[in-house]
Amino acid sequence: MEYFLALTTSGIAVGVLYGMLGMAYAVIYKSTGVVNFAQGEVMMLTAYTAYAIASLWDVGFWTLLISVTIIAIFVGLFIEFVFIRPMLGQEVFSIVMVTIGLAVAIRAIVVMIWDADPIPFPSGLPGDTVSVLGVGMYKSQVYSIIVFLALVFIMWVFLRFSRIGIAMRATANLQTTALLMGINVKRVFAIAWGLSAMISAVAGIFIASVQDLMPDMWFNGLKAFPAVIVGGLDSVFGAALGGIIIGLVENYAEGYIGFNLKEIAGFIVILIVLMIRPYGLFGKEEIERV
Amino acid sequence: MRSGHFIESYDKLVNLTDNPVKMAWSWILVLVLALAPLVLDSFWTSICATVLITAIGIIGLNLLVGTTGQISLGHSGFLAVGAYATAILTMDYQVPGIIAILLSGFIAAFFGLIVGIPSLRLKGLYLAITTMAFAIIINHVILNAEDITRGSEGFIIDPLQVFGFSFESDASIYYLSLIILVLTVLGALNLMRSHIGRAWVGIRDHDIAAKVMGINLTTYKLLAFMVSAFFAGIAGSILAFQLQYINVDNFSLLLGIEALSMIIVGGLGSISGSIVGVIFIIFLNELVRITTGIFADDGGTMSLYIHEMKGLLYGVVIVLFLRFEPDGIMGKWRDIKNYWSNWPFHH
Repeated sequence: MEYFLALTTSGIAVGVLYGMLGMAYAVIYKSTGVVNFAQGEVMMLTAYTAYAIASLWDVGFWTLLISVTIIAIFVGLFIEFVFIRPMLGQEVFSIVMVTIGLAVAIRAIVVMIWDADPIPFPSGLPGDTVSVLGVGMYKSQVYSIIVFLALVFIMWVFLRFSRIGIAMRATANLQTTALLMGINVKRVFAIAWGLSAMISAVAGIFIASVQDLMPDMWFNGLKAFPAVIVGGLDSVFGAALGGIIIGLVENYAEGYIGFNLKEIAGFIVILIVLMIRPYGLFGKEEIERV
Repeated sequence: MRSGHFIESYDKLVNLTDNPVKMAWSWILVLVLALAPLVLDSFWTSICATVLITAIGIIGLNLLVGTTGQISLGHSGFLAVGAYATAILTMDYQVPGIIAILLSGFIAAFFGLIVGIPSLRLKGLYLAITTMAFAIIINHVILNAEDITRGSEGFIIDPLQVFGFSFESDASIYYLSLIILVLTVLGALNLMRSHIGRAWVGIRDHDIAAKVMGINLTTYKLLAFMVSAFFAGIAGSILAFQLQYINVDNFSLLLGIEALSMIIVGGLGSISGSIVGVIFIIFLNELVRITTGIFADDGGTMSLYIHEMKGLLYGVVIVLFLRFEPDGIMGKWRDIKNYWSNWPFHH
């Protein structure tokens, strides 16, 4: 039982990170219909930026978190404006390939600036453990769960009540109609990219403080794919929940079966989920008219 | 006066090529390629052999992505299956080399069938992610099934033997891949002009409309995956004989992306485009290597980042081509040809 609880808590701790990245994917997909394959790389870039800030100035964790999320918003807006906006009106395949190109390029740039060796991340978070349900957890993991819940709540309030959030949902529902209703769709796209970069920056800081800064950090972005697929690409909260499901499945598979299954458990899950429900568990089925 | 290119009879439409000049040039190209190893040194012969081997796999990928419109990010997985199948068959089961090449193709095709099944229900991005999941799972299996695949140690393969002749030199591998590439091109061209190729194009353009026209989506989508995987498997098999040592690192996800960048650069859905794309990317790679080699003399910092330079280059090439020349080099070539053949009435 204790083993099960330990697997569960660490699964949730990993899962919230996938959940955050999953939300970042879903925010972009929901409003623009594009999967940003460079999400993990944006996360890596912001995490390394955070490291640069933390090694220049002696700032506390929360200041670091806020300043990096603000920088991340500008990174997201920059990517949208320079690379994605000129592709508007092209096929989705082309835009997705552009994000893949970006992903490969960002990966290379990060290694060229900061080298390939792992760097311990000075997050400013306390490194000691606390006892939750009789299981030891790092305080940084507890913080990440709290921040995740806060993020989900903020996103819910934002999408439900704010003017921009409503415009985003309208755009996601039907782009042309939203445009006719006077919504600035281009601005909605830009906001979606900024918002998604912001969420992935939060994920990046926590991932860096758990795993150290490494040039293969971007792989977490790929591992968050199962989360967002399980939840359905167009469901922000489905993605958040999917993250926790995938985190748990990974840990149980590793703990009870072994074979280093942690690395691929998520991908096996999506193969099965997609065979049964092609649009994810919470995704909306597309009905096509010819 | 010529005012365009018209096809007037059905025979012309189903011909391999409607232009005898093009046919003649193609055979002259093959002849030049056959004579090339006589003038090239061993280094350039081996690079040209790599180009030919890659072209086999890329033609397969283009049949799937460009012709049938099913995005695959996981073709490195099929390549790995082909290479490891060859390694296991020849080294552990003493299967003769030529039969092993064919068998590797069929084994990869079988995996293509399995990966193809989700494609019946999934579209676009969901499918792309599923194929990527396949490549990740294959790499993981290769790393962990150490009894069969030697795990992270890698696999050493003896050179290919056919009737006592050993394919050890770069030139012999070059000729082997040239022959198989010519067969691949002929096979792919014949597929494209047959009812199968037409069904694939129909599925790409609109799959529901294709279904209404009486095209069996299940059969043709699965067939596209199998044919594509078959070619990738053959390419992987020859690659194994060329390198004589394979490791899971040879088949990273970046390879699948590199492959996609090749068909984007060359031109989606065009066989000559696939070959042009392969040549462009591989020689660009060599150019980067040579230029970094020149600058590396002053301290060696540049050569340290060769892998990163390559990554950056793929990224930039993909983004620039999609932004400015989405039809690839072959698209540009068609435009230029149109301009001159219809001059002064081009449009």
